[in-house]
Amino acid sequence: MPTCYYTCNLVPLDLMVRSGYSPRWLGNHLRDPNAPARREALSIHPMTCPYVTKLVLAADELFGSAGAAVAGDRLVVPGGCDAARRMGDLLAATYPGRVFVMHMPRSSEDGVVDSVADSLRRLEDWLGVARQADDEIAATATSEEPPSVDYPADPTPGGVFVVAGPLTDNSLLRLIVQLGAPVAGLESCTSPDRWRALAATTTGTLAAGAADSRAADYERLAAKLLQVGMCPRRSTMSRRDYLIRRLDEMRPSSIIYARQSFCDPGAYDSLIVSELARERDLPYLEIEVDFPFDATGPLRTRVEAFLEAQLLDDDLLRDHREPAAPGADPACGVACGAVVGAGRQNEVSLDDDLSDDLFDEED
Amino acid sequence: MPGMADVTGDTFSASLIRTAFLAQTRWAAMKSRTARKYMDLHALSASLDLFKPGAIVPWVSYLFPTELLSSYRITPMIPELGSATLTGTDLRDPVEAAAARMSLARDVCSYHRIALAAVESEMLPPPSMCLGTTPLCLGKECMLELLAVRYNVPFREIRVPLPPDEGESSPEAVADVADQLRQLHEDIGRWTGRKPNLRKAIELSNRASAAYGHLMDERLAGRLEMDGRKTFAVVFLGQLLWGTEEGAKDFERLLTERGRSDLLPVVPEGGRKLKRLLWLHTVPHHDDQIFTMLAEHDAAVVFEEMGQMHYETVDPDDPFPGLAKRLTDNTLWGSSARRARLTVALAKQLKVDGAVHFNHWGCRHGLGSLPVVRSAFMQAGIPLLAIDGDALARRGAQQDKSRQAMESFLELL
Repeated sequence: MPTCYYTCNLVPLDLMVRSGYSPRWLGNHLRDPNAPARREALSIHPMTCPYVTKLVLAADELFGSAGAAVAGDRLVVPGGCDAARRMGDLLAATYPGRVFVMHMPRSSEDGVVDSVADSLRRLEDWLGVARQADDEIAATATSEEPPSVDYPADPTPGGVFVVAGPLTDNSLLRLIVQLGAPVAGLESCTSPDRWRALAATTTGTLAAGAADSRAADYERLAAKLLQVGMCPRRSTMSRRDYLIRRLDEMRPSSIIYARQSFCDPGAYDSLIVSELARERDLPYLEIEVDFPFDATGPLRTRVEAFLEAQLLDDDLLRDHREPAAPGADPACGVACGAVVGAGRQNEVSLDDDLSDDLFDEED
Repeated sequence: MPGMADVTGDTFSASLIRTAFLAQTRWAAMKSRTARKYMDLHALSASLDLFKPGAIVPWVSYLFPTELLSSYRITPMIPELGSATLTGTDLRDPVEAAAARMSLARDVCSYHRIALAAVESEMLPPPSMCLGTTPLCLGKECMLELLAVRYNVPFREIRVPLPPDEGESSPEAVADVADQLRQLHEDIGRWTGRKPNLRKAIELSNRASAAYGHLMDERLAGRLEMDGRKTFAVVFLGQLLWGTEEGAKDFERLLTERGRSDLLPVVPEGGRKLKRLLWLHTVPHHDDQIFTMLAEHDAAVVFEEMGQMHYETVDPDDPFPGLAKRLTDNTLWGSSARRARLTVALAKQLKVDGAVHFNHWGCRHGLGSLPVVRSAFMQAGIPLLAIDGDALARRGAQQDKSRQAMESFLELL
């Protein structure tokens, strides 16, 4: 069964499955950084985000002359930002007929659903035509390989809220948990809320048949895609409203923004998030991260220092507000909603209301 | 020479200084009688009005059809122009300091970063509305909408579909953009309470387009040579003036030899052959060393990719489809393959000796298309040099590196 690689989660995987492809996220197939560079390898400007840089290299490695991709394999590149669109352009020019660049709008205004639905229709038509051309490939069951990012534990209100670009794994979340803080939520291109919503369904799919029902399917999918994909490249107002809802829902104690360098949507988005943090009087940390994500070294130190400062604040706050209950361990944060992490108990909530709620419960 | 802060204030003394400064600029224009000097005067005059209390200040994207604003006698505030102007004045250090204090990442486009810092430091007037277009880049849309949110003013984005790699955009795509423009024109009237006169704006814009289009035809046919960098400066400023009486007159001045006398390329001494270059993307506004070096090597930029604007006139009876088509089929919009095809064709038509791609700091749109453009030039056998730089920078280490690369390139040519 041929593979249809994709670069961004905002592609309904059903379209690929229905056309006879196994969908695989290209981020799971990055080039081995220790492997010798090919002489004819594609090169892009160094002022490009690490995500696009690594995906171009990965695609070039797969689709190049000695690559692992077979003749029928394809690549879908949703062009959400300028860098992603240009990545699609480059790969489409290098591997003609094997790459589909999908236009992704910013806004959700009238007419945008139709435009995305049309893109989805053209994508499926393209996949279908490509598949027919490869009909010698035996039909076997499809399998899918989405991003592997997931929460290490269920999101906990009052924890650290993480906003990030694409992540290869959940090591940032695990790091936070290891450092003794719960995770209140993850808002990322590769967060499970994104990729699960557009993963292949067990039934395999869209209604086949009459043109009317297919058109309705595409519109439904387009609307869903626009609803799910409220990412940094989207309308600032819509994105801001969306983030406000998420923050109100999870009432985090702090926010960490893991921003990729040379990412325009991320750069402007981090301004919005920092403003939202300031409005809520929440501690905010912005870190510049690579792709694939590496949770060691200076980055670990910064996150550690940030969380420790909060924990210190919480300790002081707790000491100031209430003497320890008789019999309680003074080093334990039970009073404000403790979370067990790496054998250590810490509370991370600075939200007065939440602290009060939890405090009352403990009392 | 007054400072920028002196002429942009809203005090009585600032008003007097402004009047005196404009009189001085007018005198310089009258003496030279060139289109460029008059355009300096008119762009400056219109822009200074934006600083007056109660002025309507629409922040717009570079390709926004400003005739929609001229229709209401409103001058646009184009962030790229604002940044380029400020960084060329005595406000350069303060605005750079303000940008450095901002929490916005330093790796975004410097035009937009400086503009954002300038408005937040009251060096540019705050927006009354923010009007974007999907061409050319996402970054400026993010900046415009962020400003709209911060200042609680309306934001509109004209959604322009990508044109096909070959041929023109479909009539449906043009009609969709035309409808958006029509609606926006009405909205601007509602927001400002002013009465439109779009027909007059279009007729004035057409006068400018006819003049500029003729000039570009002559250049493309090889019958007229003009300095690409200086011509780009005219087009860049001209973005403020489409649809105005001043704009029409200024572009028409380009039709006379006197009017374009300060836009001519160098002529090598002793009958030596001029090395003719095509310039791709924006130009360094404040660092002329590269261009001085070109002249020293008997080379000149004879055409500029970004000068390809507004060649065709628009039907005054039904202007929206024409304005829409300028966006949908803009030479700078579309895929990298389209850009490569159009620029290689341009280079062949002009029979240039080589092309230079200016990798402007933080421009994902321009930098991202470079590999495809480079490959196309290579296949066509036309030498292409890509140099890194910042359009707003002055001399520095990066500029030195680019100059060295340019020197080697010229020697190869």
